[in-house]
Amino acid sequence: MIGLVWALEAILLGCLLVWRFSDLPAIRPAWARLLLIFGAGAAGGIGLVSYLFFFFGVLLGLPVAAMVLELALLAWAAFEVYRRQVPAVPSSGASGRPLLFRVAGGSLFLALVLAASAAWTGWDANPQGNWDAWAIWNLRARFLAAPAGLAWRAWSPVLGATTHAEYPLLLSSFIARCWAFGHSFATLVPAATGAIFFLALIALAAGTIAVLRGPTLGLLAALVLTSTPSLLHEIPAQYADVPLACYIAGAIAFALLRRPALAGIFAGFAAWTKDEGLLFLVVFLAAAAVFRRREALAAIAGALPAAAILTFFKLWLARGNGSLLSTSLPGAARRIFDMGRYGTVTAAFGRGFLDMAQGWYHPILPLIVLAAALRFDRERRREAAFSGAIGATLLLGYFGVYILTQNDLVWQLQTSLDRLLVQVWPVLVLTAFIALRMPETAMAAEPAPVQKVSRKAARKARR
Amino acid sequence: MRGASRQDPFTVSASVALVALVCLWGSFASYGFETAYQRQNSDPYMISQQFVRFEPLLSTVPSAVPEDATLGYLTDASPASTTGLAMTLGAQYVLAPRLIEKGATDDRVIGNFTRPADFAALGQSYRLRLERDFGNGVVLFRKEH
Repeated sequence: MIGLVWALEAILLGCLLVWRFSDLPAIRPAWARLLLIFGAGAAGGIGLVSYLFFFFGVLLGLPVAAMVLELALLAWAAFEVYRRQVPAVPSSGASGRPLLFRVAGGSLFLALVLAASAAWTGWDANPQGNWDAWAIWNLRARFLAAPAGLAWRAWSPVLGATTHAEYPLLLSSFIARCWAFGHSFATLVPAATGAIFFLALIALAAGTIAVLRGPTLGLLAALVLTSTPSLLHEIPAQYADVPLACYIAGAIAFALLRRPALAGIFAGFAAWTKDEGLLFLVVFLAAAAVFRRREALAAIAGALPAAAILTFFKLWLARGNGSLLSTSLPGAARRIFDMGRYGTVTAAFGRGFLDMAQGWYHPILPLIVLAAALRFDRERRREAAFSGAIGATLLLGYFGVYILTQNDLVWQLQTSLDRLLVQVWPVLVLTAFIALRMPETAMAAEPAPVQKVSRKAARKARR
Repeated sequence: MRGASRQDPFTVSASVALVALVCLWGSFASYGFETAYQRQNSDPYMISQQFVRFEPLLSTVPSAVPEDATLGYLTDASPASTTGLAMTLGAQYVLAPRLIEKGATDDRVIGNFTRPADFAALGQSYRLRLERDFGNGVVLFRKEH
């Protein structure tokens, strides 16, 4: 239970830092602002304390230093928020909520209750999580939480290839931190971590779309994600795919909201979560350079800490462990020219997409209905292209890795493709919702007010 | 992309309501599937059970298996099989931060067996002495010097 308190402390720390040091508090509407602060704070706080624990607790063998630093940061951030309270942004003056908003909000609430109930059944049935949880992520957390001098075993080659000792350590470090600070290997910690990332993902999607495309679409985007069967299935698994999906979606969301430093930080967190996140970081920075040249430098700066720690880990600490790509290099040319593999992978991608359904419900259905009814907004082409290009390139990258891998292709596809699609699905949902016309403008001449305050205005308000 | 033509308000409202309903249907379907699936697949690799099996080893002779130990590992399960892999990784999960290393080259060797056998004789074939049998297929061997 104490481990869970430390998980909540990370969320609080993240929220206070975001509140104080980003201009998200100036965003409207208020509920979208709170969702964005929660989403950025929860996922960002987990990422930050994971860094601190890895550096002080694991590398320097001083977990108490990580704890003291965290608490000092928390106290300072709380004081700063208290001292420099951001003046409340005046409301838009709209009286009451439109019916569509209430329908979407009520449905989202019900869907979240159902998702929580389904996840609870999973935690109850499998408190240790699924295979990769106890064979990879939580196993390595147990090593990292060990007394000083033993944590290096988390990336020991003795563990063997099946534990993927070369995988990045954001999730394992966070769980280890909660276990070490709480003096208990409580199964509640990894279970709750999956739920926190899921909620952060929903909050980020809802907040971003609400700000950019209006409140109703914001809630509907969250509803589509909450009711995605394959995403729900991954929550109790205690894998790193939901955290990665959250960081990927967060990075794109903050890029769309013109917060490039936060976007870069989230892209860095993605790279420090899973190897696929490293691919995302490269793709994201390339897309930023193409579509948002002026903001690319800030995004790169945001991603630097993660890039540094990841480089150190991969090239120095875990260098004895071959990655999926490096072990696939021998014989790669033969596999690249094997046309049969392309057919197998294409068919598997098609099946994987169809398998995201549950019964006759497929999460693409609501998007089709909305596209037919609302149509698309010409003004949003560039944002949609930015987000869509990242999603498409990621899928292309995953496709290429399947072509290259020396593992048994069918086994590799069967054991991983559904989770890769879960990582990219929120990007596709964000892309679709960014491109849609707002219901309010689709049926009325008067456009909804732009619900974003410029950085300059936010700074002025703070002063 | 289409142009920004005005849509019939009823169509827009109805489609938003339809999307909400469709999503809720999906949520109910997912809930039904997940609850049934999780009940049918409750701890399929018996990882929780591994904590129970190895608890006597960790609690009765902690000095024989200190946290910084690297332990050898013997099993009768085929290492390539799902059972063998789950037993090995499950044991590693429970015993961490101790490292387990397949084979009998280390000073102390954990035996993790699926069925009863003459563990003393088995140990001797690896030049190991049976130090203790903890039941449930878990034994501790020592290297004979």
